[in-house]
Amino acid sequence: MRGLAKTIKTLIGMALIVSLLAACGGGGSGGNGSTSSGAGSSASSGGQASSGGNGSSENNAKPAQPFKGQRLVVYMANHPWVELIKSYLPEFEEETGIEVDIQNFADDQLSQKVSVQLTTRAATPDLFMMRPLQEARQFLRNGFIEPMNSYIENDEEYDFGDFSKSAVDGTVVDGQVTAIPIIADQHIMYYRKDLLENAGLSVPQTIEELGEAIKALHDEKNGVYGFVARGQRSLLVPQVSSYVFSEGGDFMADGKAAVNTPEAIRGFKYYADWLREYGPPGVLNMSWPEAMGLFTQGKAAFFTDASSLFSNAIDKEKSVVADSVGFALFPEGSHGRRPYNIAAWGMSLNANAKNKEAAMEFIKWATSKEIMTRTQTEGVPGVRESVWANPETTSKFPAELVEVLKKSQEIGVGHDRPQVIAVGEARDIIGAIVQKAILGEDIQAAADQANEEFQALIDREAQS
Amino acid sequence: MSSSWLDRNFKWVTTLPAVLFVIVMMAFPILYTVRLSLYDWGLSALVPPRWVGLQNYTDLLTSARFWNAVMNTFYFSTLALAFQLILGVAIALLLHRKNTRIAKTIFLMPMVATPVAMGLVWVLLFQPTNGVLNQILVSIGLKPLAWLGSVHTVIPSLVIVDVWEWTPMITLIVLAGLSTLPQEPFESAVVDGASSWQKLWYITLPMLRPTILVAVMLRLIDVLKTFDIIYATTQGGPGTSSETLNILGYVLAFQYYKFGSASALLVVFFTIVLGFTLLMIGLRKKLGRSA
Amino acid sequence: MKIKTVKNLSLSLATTAVILIFVFPILWMVFSSFKSQVDIQSARLFSFHPTVQNYVRVFAEYNFLKYIVNSFIVAVGSTLAALALGLPAAYSIARFRMNGLGLTILVARIIPGITFLIPWFVIFNELRLVDTYVALILSHMLVGLPYIIWIMIPFFESLSEEIEEAGFIDGCTRLEVFLAIVLPISLPGIITSSIMSIIFSWNNFLFSLILAGERTKTLPIAVFSFISYSEINWGGLMAAATIITLPIVIIALLGQKYIVDGMAAGAVKG
Repeated sequence: MRGLAKTIKTLIGMALIVSLLAACGGGGSGGNGSTSSGAGSSASSGGQASSGGNGSSENNAKPAQPFKGQRLVVYMANHPWVELIKSYLPEFEEETGIEVDIQNFADDQLSQKVSVQLTTRAATPDLFMMRPLQEARQFLRNGFIEPMNSYIENDEEYDFGDFSKSAVDGTVVDGQVTAIPIIADQHIMYYRKDLLENAGLSVPQTIEELGEAIKALHDEKNGVYGFVARGQRSLLVPQVSSYVFSEGGDFMADGKAAVNTPEAIRGFKYYADWLREYGPPGVLNMSWPEAMGLFTQGKAAFFTDASSLFSNAIDKEKSVVADSVGFALFPEGSHGRRPYNIAAWGMSLNANAKNKEAAMEFIKWATSKEIMTRTQTEGVPGVRESVWANPETTSKFPAELVEVLKKSQEIGVGHDRPQVIAVGEARDIIGAIVQKAILGEDIQAAADQANEEFQALIDREAQS
Repeated sequence: MSSSWLDRNFKWVTTLPAVLFVIVMMAFPILYTVRLSLYDWGLSALVPPRWVGLQNYTDLLTSARFWNAVMNTFYFSTLALAFQLILGVAIALLLHRKNTRIAKTIFLMPMVATPVAMGLVWVLLFQPTNGVLNQILVSIGLKPLAWLGSVHTVIPSLVIVDVWEWTPMITLIVLAGLSTLPQEPFESAVVDGASSWQKLWYITLPMLRPTILVAVMLRLIDVLKTFDIIYATTQGGPGTSSETLNILGYVLAFQYYKFGSASALLVVFFTIVLGFTLLMIGLRKKLGRSA
Repeated sequence: MKIKTVKNLSLSLATTAVILIFVFPILWMVFSSFKSQVDIQSARLFSFHPTVQNYVRVFAEYNFLKYIVNSFIVAVGSTLAALALGLPAAYSIARFRMNGLGLTILVARIIPGITFLIPWFVIFNELRLVDTYVALILSHMLVGLPYIIWIMIPFFESLSEEIEEAGFIDGCTRLEVFLAIVLPISLPGIITSSIMSIIFSWNNFLFSLILAGERTKTLPIAVFSFISYSEINWGGLMAAATIITLPIVIIALLGQKYIVDGMAAGAVKG
C-alpha cells in the first residue's frame, strides 16, 4: 500500500512538472506565424521575387518588403482555395515581408469564432472569410467589418470592376463593400446520362420537362429515385430559390415578404412535390452530403444543387457513377432560367484590425488576376470575368460543366436567400413551407403563415 | 499528538480551493448571462444592448417553440435516462462477473469516440436508403424505418445514440462501486443460503444505491444538456422535432444572433436543471446513504 | 457442475453479445478509415478495397502529432489539477457532510457550455491567455472537477470510519490518514473519475474552439478540418477519429490494471 501511494505521488509530481513546463512553454513556443498544413511555411528571408505594393515590375534586386515585420492572422474556411493560397503564401511573404498565419475552420465554427471574438472588438483576426449572403448585413451592422471601398477604388491594377456583377451584388450592402468575393457558386442540374439514354430521353430544358423526366426515371423497386435534393429546413432554402426565381417569384418584393405569392408557391411546389413523390425516404434530414451521397451511389436520376459540389460526383474515389454524370443548366421556368449565381465566400476586413494596410495587401494579392488565374486553373471557380474568359483556366473542369458555369454566370441571380439581416431566422421560416409541403400539408396555408412570420421579421428589422 | 492547525481546519483547507476555483470561473459568466437576459443584443460591437426588462422572458414563455423544446428535452431525457440506467446497471453486473479487463476497456469506447465523427457515423447507419440498420431490419423481415428523417422516429433514434454513448459511463461507475463493496455481507448471505437473485436484490443493489444515484444525477444533468449528438446529426430537425432547449439556445445565440433571448432561455434552462438536481440531492439524502 | 458451466457459457455469450452491439459503430468507424469515400457511403460493412491512404493523408497533410500532444497536455493537466483540488474536497464533503459546497461545485456542471463562451473569451483575452495551455486547462478543469468530486463522494462515504480511526489512534494526522490510508483504498474510484475527466477533456470541442489558437489546437477541432464547404473527407475523418480514440483506449487499459491491483490491495481492509 505504501508503495502504491508513493508511485502515485511520483507520477503526480512528474506530470505536474510536465504540465507546468507546457503551460509556460505554450505561451511562447510553437511555430510563430506558421500555417497549419505541411505545405505552407512561415516567413522566409528575402529572395528574387518582385517588389511588393501595387507595382509588379520584375527585377532581380532584393524585394522592397515594404511591410516587413508585420504579422497577419487570417481565419479561413476549409476549402481547396485555402489550401492553394497556403501553398502560394511563401511568395507573398517574400515580396512584402508580411508574416501570415492562416487558420482554418469548418463553416459554422468559423462563424462562431469570428462572432465571439469580434463582438469583444478583438484585433484578431485581421481578416476572415465569411458567407456574404448569410452574414454580410449582420456583420456590418455589428461593427465587425470595415468596408473596403476606399482601398479598392482607383486601384486600376487590382481592377475590382473585373469581378462578376452578381458576385459583387452579394457583397455590397448599402453601397459598402463588405467583402471581396472569392468563390462563386451556381445552381445547376446534375443528371445521370446513362439513365436518360436508356430511356431515350433528352436533357430536360424546362422545369416541366424535368418533372416528366423525373417521373419517367423514378424506379423505386430497383433503388433509383427520380429526384434528390436537400430537405433540411434551413439548408433547402437556397436550393429551392432558383425554382422560385424561375417562376417569377422571390422571397421579397419591394421590401415586403413575398413567399406566398402564386409564383413563389409554384416554385416551392415543384421542389416539394418531386421530393415527396419521387424522392428518397428521410429527405427531411438531408443536407448536401446525404443528397449528393445518394446520387453518387447511383440511387437518384436528377439532383439540383450547387456547382461547387461537382468534384464529389465525378471523382472515382467518391462516386460509383463517376463516368455517367452529366451537368446541365438549371431548367427554364415560366419566367425563364433564373438560377442563383452567388459569391459563396468572401474575405472581410476586421474593423478593429491593427494592420489594415497590410491586410488589404494580402486580400488584393490573394484575389489578384494572377493568383485567381492560378487557383481557377487548379479547379476552384473564381469570380473574375477576365479569368473566366481565359480558356486555360477551365482546363481542369469537365468540359460540359464549363459551358454550364459560364452560361449560369451570365443569367444568374445574385442572391439565393432572403436579403435581410436575420438570414438564419428567415431561412427557418421559409424552409418550413417546403418541409410541410413534403409532409403533405396544405402549401398555401404553410406559405401564408410563413409570410406572416417573415413580414414580422422584416418589420422588426425596420424598427431597430 | 496534539491536533495541528491543519487538523483543526482540515475540512476548510481541503474544500475551499475547489469551491473557490469553481466560483471564480463561474461567477462572471453567470452574472453576464443573467444581466444580458434583460437586454436585447445582437452581438454587436457597436450597438450596445438595449434594455427590455423581462420581455425576453415573457416572449420566451409564450412562444410555442420554447415549449416544443421543453417537451422534446423531457421526452428525450426521460427515455434516454431510463434505458441507460437499466442497461448500465445490468451490464455492470454482467461484466463484474466476467471480470475481463479487455471487455471493460472495449466497453468504454462509445464514450471515448469523438462525438463529431460518431454523429456522422450514426447518420450513415441511420440512412433510410442504404444504411446498415435498415438493411438489418429488412433482412429479418421488418419494414425499414425513417429513423432521423421522420418527426415521429427522430427522438427515439437520438435516444439510441445517447444510450449507446453513455451507458458505458453508468456501467463504469457502477463497476467501480461494485469492486469496492465489502465482502462480508455476501459471505454471510451464502452461509444463510441466499440465492443469486436474492443476493442481487437485497444486498448488491441497496449497497450500490449511493453510487447509482450519483451516476443517475450526473447523467441527468448531462442528458438534459445533450448537444453534440443532436447538433452533429439533425441540428434540431426535421423542422423542430428534435430541437431541445440547449439546441434552441445555440440557434438563438449563434444563428439568429438574438443573444438577449438566448440568455433568457439559458437562465430558464439552468433553473430547470438546478431544480432537478436539488430533487436528486434530496433523494440521495433520503435514500442514498450507504447501509 | 454442469449448471455452473451452462451458467458460465451463457454469461460469456451475453457479455460477448453486449460488447459486440456496443462496439459495432466503433468497428464501423475503424473499418471506414480503411475505405475509400465511395465505399464508406455505400454503408456496407465488409466488401471494400482496403487502403491506408486516409492515414497517410492525415499525418502528412494535417499536423496531427501536434494536436495529439496538445490534447494530451490539456487532458492530463486538467485532470491532475482537478484531482489535486477535487480529491481532498470530495473527502471532506463526504466525511463532514458539507452538502452546500457539494452543490455549489455541481452547479458548474449544470450551466450550459455556450454560457461561458463570450465571458471567458473576454477575460482570457484581457489576460492574454488565449491560445495558451493555461486557459484550456482551467476551462477543462471546470468540466472535470465536478465529475471527480461527485464520483468520489459515494466512495468516501462508503469507507468504514474504523480504518481511519485506527490511523488516528496510531498518531497520524488527518492529512496522513487521507494520503496514506484513504486514497490507496479508493483507487478504483480515482481511476474511474480520472478516466471520465480525461475523456471529457479529450473530446471537449466548444471551449477549445474559442480559447485555443493555432498553437494549442486540440484534436476535436482538427477533426472538423475534414468537413468543408463542398466536400466531406469521410475517410480522413474516420482515420482521424480512430487515431483520436486510440490514446484514451490505451490509457483506459493501463488504468484498468490499477483498478485490479487496487482491489487486491484493498481486499486486505476490514
